[in-house]
Amino acid sequence: MEIVLILLGIIVVGALVVIFYVIGAYNNLVSLRNRFKNAYAQIDVQLKRRYDLIPNLVETARGYLQHERGTLNEVTAARNSAFSANAKAAQNPGDPEAIKQVTGAEAALVGSLGRLFAVVESYPNLKANEEMIRLMEELTSTENKVAFARQAYNDSVMVYNTSRETFPSNLIANSFNFTAAELFIVEKPEEKEAVKVSFT
Amino acid sequence: MDFFQRQEIARRNTKLLEVYFALAVIGTVLAIYAGTMVFVNFQQQQDVNSDGTANFSLWDPQVFTLVSLVCLCVIFGSSLCKISQLSSGGSVVAEMLGGRPIDAHTTDLNEKKLLNVVEEMAIASGTPVPRLYLLPDEDGINAFAAGHTTGDMVICVTHGALQYLTRDELQGVIGHEFSHILNGDMRLNLRLMGIVFGILSLTILGRILLQTRGRKNPLPLFGLLLIVVGAIGVFFGKLIKSAVSRQREFLADAASVQFTRNPEGLANALKKVGNSGSRIDDPNAEDASHFFFANGLTESVFNWMSTHPPLEERIRELDPNWDGQFIPVHPVWNETTAAQAKQPPSPTGQDGLQHLGNLVTAQAFPAAIATAAILSQVGTTSARHLDYASDVMSKMNESLTDAAHSTMSAVALVYALLLSPDETVRKSQMEQLQANPIIAHETERLYSITQTLESRARLPLATLSITALRNLSAPQYAQFTKDIRAIIDLNGQADLFTYALQKIVLRRLDPHFNPPQNRVPQYYAIKPLLPDCAVLLSAVACAGQVEPADIQNAFNLGAKQLDDPAHELQLDTTAYDLTKIDAALDRLNQAAPQIKKAILGACAETVAADGVIQENEAELLRAIADTLDCPIPPFLAV
Repeated sequence: MEIVLILLGIIVVGALVVIFYVIGAYNNLVSLRNRFKNAYAQIDVQLKRRYDLIPNLVETARGYLQHERGTLNEVTAARNSAFSANAKAAQNPGDPEAIKQVTGAEAALVGSLGRLFAVVESYPNLKANEEMIRLMEELTSTENKVAFARQAYNDSVMVYNTSRETFPSNLIANSFNFTAAELFIVEKPEEKEAVKVSFT
Repeated sequence: MDFFQRQEIARRNTKLLEVYFALAVIGTVLAIYAGTMVFVNFQQQQDVNSDGTANFSLWDPQVFTLVSLVCLCVIFGSSLCKISQLSSGGSVVAEMLGGRPIDAHTTDLNEKKLLNVVEEMAIASGTPVPRLYLLPDEDGINAFAAGHTTGDMVICVTHGALQYLTRDELQGVIGHEFSHILNGDMRLNLRLMGIVFGILSLTILGRILLQTRGRKNPLPLFGLLLIVVGAIGVFFGKLIKSAVSRQREFLADAASVQFTRNPEGLANALKKVGNSGSRIDDPNAEDASHFFFANGLTESVFNWMSTHPPLEERIRELDPNWDGQFIPVHPVWNETTAAQAKQPPSPTGQDGLQHLGNLVTAQAFPAAIATAAILSQVGTTSARHLDYASDVMSKMNESLTDAAHSTMSAVALVYALLLSPDETVRKSQMEQLQANPIIAHETERLYSITQTLESRARLPLATLSITALRNLSAPQYAQFTKDIRAIIDLNGQADLFTYALQKIVLRRLDPHFNPPQNRVPQYYAIKPLLPDCAVLLSAVACAGQVEPADIQNAFNLGAKQLDDPAHELQLDTTAYDLTKIDAALDRLNQAAPQIKKAILGACAETVAADGVIQENEAELLRAIADTLDCPIPPFLAV
């Protein structure tokens, strides 16, 4: 009888230890997930600022760039799709699909903005316009802030994903539906072009 | 009663709490055992003895051992679990109740209003700016503060409070929360929460067992027993909580009035609570009920066990002429313009002009601010400090405050504040930062703007940056610390002020990245700490004086304040080494409150030795006090 009691006691204590470990690991995953979601909110704030600046930029440039309407429309369209993609991702940064949409839309926006700036170079009147200068500077500054916030977000996502994948917390992650988070990487359009090798 | 005595009392209350808890646990175990015995006897009644009598046994050691083992495991296990969960800081409580962080560069006017009120209060009391959270789904008017140390605080406000309270009323509520923070109530509250959860866990376990199925399964009955017994645990839990928290609510109300000199603000807030209620709908509200500003649970028959004194009593304490009418609530967004969100209302009454006169601070303060006065200021603040804070904030260049509220530029801003005015030194410092050219560029831009900053605004500006800096990721924070270290090293020994500034900034950020260990004082006597005191006093003496004789004199004045019968304290001129000072301060932070009081008194005497407290000496004193978790409000001209 004694041995049975002791065994029972050990089993109970063992079970409790396991339960408490599971609770601890679960809470850890939740906290890491909250952290990267909060980090996305930082990106969101800066992106929104960018999206607010772009229509002003387009309006200021429109008067000067009568023959470049294509480029301007491209920028506006890219900005709109990036805006809605970001709004969706901000609702749920844990959804990898949503993040992929945003990074794709952002890449397109960066590309079209780059083309717009290249065009502006050949219009010295526009380049000297005060409002234009101010807007471009603010855009650059916001761009820097986005880069910084992106770095912080990617750091938090890495920590979360590592915790999610390592043993033994991956068992808990899988049982409670902790999905993998997506990194925020905006591909630069130049990098996508094939490298030209010339032997001349 | 000063800050240090209040800290001692808070610590003692924690011990008392643990005694109550032990009694509650014993009571609960006995109750479960009794129930189990009834159950066992009921079973045994089925087999009657050969002579026809039934066996009733009251004492069965095996059952008792089993029952107490399981109960103790569950109770202590869940308590430890909860305590370790809460050890990562106050934000756990906020997130548990569904809170979301309020961003530093929020555009919502009500959130901005709250941010400004909290920042003012933080500057006025010399504490870090707490992390702000919002409970977006709660329409009742309520708020709470949670955290282990002043450096790790979280203030959480309901959506209802933001919507329905004016700036004055919000300030009254925040003042109430800050008083809890400064009193050290928060650590007690967190401990309370962890402990009581242990007793509640029996009820939770019972509920789980109740849901198991199966024939001839005794578990549901056992579950029912646990729930009934768990109710006893809940009863004890409520009793403990109310014993500890009721009186403190009155004290916090009184302190808030002292901070804001405006009893109307807090009284009106409470009157609005009377109308719109302060109930928190989240199921976790019971766990955290003792944290809240007003009663977060529905009023019940068991009012005497409530965690808060009755609302009417609280209002009457603040407003003796109250007519008994609550104030109807309406959203105040139409009253808040952007300007109002930023500017505080002008000081009222005749004090108005006198206020403004006193706000002009001299570069140096006469050491007529006696050491005793400095010590009495620790852990408190006043309406004058609050006016000073709002004055400083309103005069700051807007691009600097904007920079402080955005993570990347906040990093650059801190670097800019630490750069040396000497151009050659500054050049080599900028070279250190070139690893990240974007931040280097921003630092240079902000540096030129900071040249126009008043010197008294430098520390408040650094304080304002903390909120945004919390958004750094761990690797970014590591880089930040490294860069700061590099800049300070290049500044050399000459610059005491920047050492103090960076110490304060890093001290306030550290708890967010490296969760604070629950520090129990390890030193109850000053003797083992005397070498560290010697390092500290020597550094302070060398900082303020040039002549060796003056340095020795200053050191001696300070050393006299400490209990050192063996004369172990010796001036050490090599002590002015930043790593040495850091190490000494970290060890001194583990001293009991009364010891810290003596140490601070000694530092104050040393600083005041030459008859004048220079501005940088004052900031150094505040930095030292901050490291010891004893916040000192800004020095005002007498």
